[in-house]
Amino acid sequence: MIWQLDIVLLVFIVICAVAAITVRDLLSAVIILGAYSFFMCLLWTEMGAVDVAFTEASVGAGIGTVLFIAAIARTARRSKD
Amino acid sequence: MKIMPLKMVAFAAVVLTGALLLYGVEDMPAWGDPQSPANTHVSPRYIENAIPDTATPNIVTAVLADYRGYDTLGETTVIFTAGIACLYILRRPRNQRRKERD
Amino acid sequence: MLEYVIAKYNYWVYVILMMIGLYAMMGKRNLVKKLIGMNIFQTSIILFYVSIGVKKGGATVPILEGHGHGGHQAVDVATILNPLPHVLMLTAIVVSIATTGVALAALILIYRRYGTLEEDEIIAARRAAAAPKAKDQAS
Repeated sequence: MIWQLDIVLLVFIVICAVAAITVRDLLSAVIILGAYSFFMCLLWTEMGAVDVAFTEASVGAGIGTVLFIAAIARTARRSKD
Repeated sequence: MKIMPLKMVAFAAVVLTGALLLYGVEDMPAWGDPQSPANTHVSPRYIENAIPDTATPNIVTAVLADYRGYDTLGETTVIFTAGIACLYILRRPRNQRRKERD
Repeated sequence: MLEYVIAKYNYWVYVILMMIGLYAMMGKRNLVKKLIGMNIFQTSIILFYVSIGVKKGGATVPILEGHGHGGHQAVDVATILNPLPHVLMLTAIVVSIATTGVALAALILIYRRYGTLEEDEIIAARRAAAAPKAKDQAS
């Protein structure tokens, strides 16, 4: 438990979450969501939950981003809000 | 722009939920407290018995695949169902495919 | 006061994350944005559960080093993190990605039928399809 790292990661996570739902370009939003997942993975490693961290890094940030990008490639990329 | 009032309603509902949850945080034990109920009730049994019961150094794996093996089996069923559902949703019917070719 | 903040600020951040996700699900009109909000919501709940298992004061990851192969010495519980939330949240992460996959497949189907992913345009198209005669009379 390093509390400075904890605070920095929490701030980054909140910034990424806000950016992911405000950006109008959906591809950018999905990439920011991937960055959010990686920050979450770092936070879990810092908390000591290593199994959860590497599952999140592979499944959440990897497969999740790939699925989102595949869906956006078949549909629209622009969003109105 | 007729939907803007709806957005305000959504924002108000979100703020209300967040305020209720922040009020509920008062009753949570301090963050990382080793004496909190979750850390003293069941989990010591798993930590102490993992090696004698399963001979696996990684306790998370021991609980996931040994103590709660049926839970993991059910999870696999969920993944399988999701894959089958994706296949059936994304499949195009044969007559529709022929229509698109013409 | 400072002690109270140190003991609780993590929970406040989790609540803020949950509010962001809930607002994206309720307030945003684009369906992909709603899905992103659902992901943020799920991750905040998982983060909350994982943080329940944290023990401050020198506890390490739940892997027992040097205890295997017949070495049956007793384990000090205070030095090992709580493994139960980790196990349950592993299942939750995998189920959440399965949910996202099915939802994205449904999104592709919606786009094929209506040609848009905006909620209000889909509702307008459905209303126009449900009452074509009324629209003809109006125009």
